[in-house]
Amino acid sequence: MSSDRGVASVQAGRVTSSGLQRLLRQLPVGGMERRAIEAGEIDAVIDYGSANVIVFPVARRALRDAANRAASAERKATLEMPKLNSLLATLPRAEYRRLLPALEQVTLERGDVLHEAGAPIRHVYFPVDCVICLMTKVDDQRAVATGLVGHDGMVGIPLVLEVGVSSVRAVVQVAGTALRMPATRFTNEFQRGLQLQRQLYRYAQVKLNQARQIAACLASHRFEQRLACWLLMIGDRAKSPELLLTQKNLATILNVRRVSVTTTSGSLRSRGLIGNDRGSLSILDRKGLEAAACRCYRPLEAADVA
Amino acid sequence: MTRRTPPSASPARPTTVVVLRLYIAGGAPNSMQAIANLEAICAEHLKGGHRLEVVDILDNPRRAMAEGVLVTPSLTKLSPLPAAQVVGNLSDKKRVLLALGLEPHVQ
Repeated sequence: MSSDRGVASVQAGRVTSSGLQRLLRQLPVGGMERRAIEAGEIDAVIDYGSANVIVFPVARRALRDAANRAASAERKATLEMPKLNSLLATLPRAEYRRLLPALEQVTLERGDVLHEAGAPIRHVYFPVDCVICLMTKVDDQRAVATGLVGHDGMVGIPLVLEVGVSSVRAVVQVAGTALRMPATRFTNEFQRGLQLQRQLYRYAQVKLNQARQIAACLASHRFEQRLACWLLMIGDRAKSPELLLTQKNLATILNVRRVSVTTTSGSLRSRGLIGNDRGSLSILDRKGLEAAACRCYRPLEAADVA
Repeated sequence: MTRRTPPSASPARPTTVVVLRLYIAGGAPNSMQAIANLEAICAEHLKGGHRLEVVDILDNPRRAMAEGVLVTPSLTKLSPLPAAQVVGNLSDKKRVLLALGLEPHVQ
């Protein structure tokens, strides 16, 4: 809504009935404008003297009701949205209501970079149905995924540990919605909210465990096991068996050549464990894929326990 | 709003594109009705041979003033000439057709 509209509405609200009468008298007698007003077919008149739009009471009420309905729907949507992120969902109602005005709903596309390694953190993100990969640089060209965040967590954990700079590159792998909060506001809220602190310290431990497990997995397990494990982990966080991930994405995340992903995913596909539709991978047989994965994979509920 | 039954005989088809501009006041009731009525008339009588621009005067009051609009809803036919104007919620279909130069057959 433009600022012009706001000004017009406020000014219209101040118009007195005598002002409206004066305005109507300026319209040509017997003209089509007057006839339409008498028939109740007009919503607004332009007052050229004051350069204002005068909205008629009936129309003004309808506009106000519509605006209230839209605002109420938006409030309701924002109120319900945090329930879709596990960290926010577990907060006591009072604490979560205090955070609400600071949370902004954003749509994230695949490839969006939320945090750059070595750069200050400007926002924290609470994913709802998107999946974010935390990439650690290994040299100037390459990076490898050392963490995964979905509706189970938050991107921006260094702030919890009083570090304002990201150590990883946070890249959106599965597009979707998230709630974000400016870093300064988050720091204030974190200091005030005891339950938020507890949740996030615990989550920081979960992330540390996840990074350790990924490091151990990289050094110990065959690529097919690792690939199956990552597909399951991403699938859990995307809340959908349709991963909308390409082989190229997976090669980047796992820091392997694309041909390795092609060969290995071909093997998983031939066993009916995954599908590949127009370059996008999906999980067809979850149990089978779990059997193919290394023991580093744990379903979200279990992995969530520090 | 009184919707009239369309005439059984179709009026003359336009040979040129009719350019229309409708000024409205946001989602106010008459403005919404005017859009619906005009869309129905255009679909029936112009069959896509028109261009319609909807201008919200709450978003853009200065433009409406620059173009001499007094009230909304207000429909202006810009082309083909002569220009014509109808105000109100456009429920009087005959008046709209007259303004568009698509006068229905006189019964």
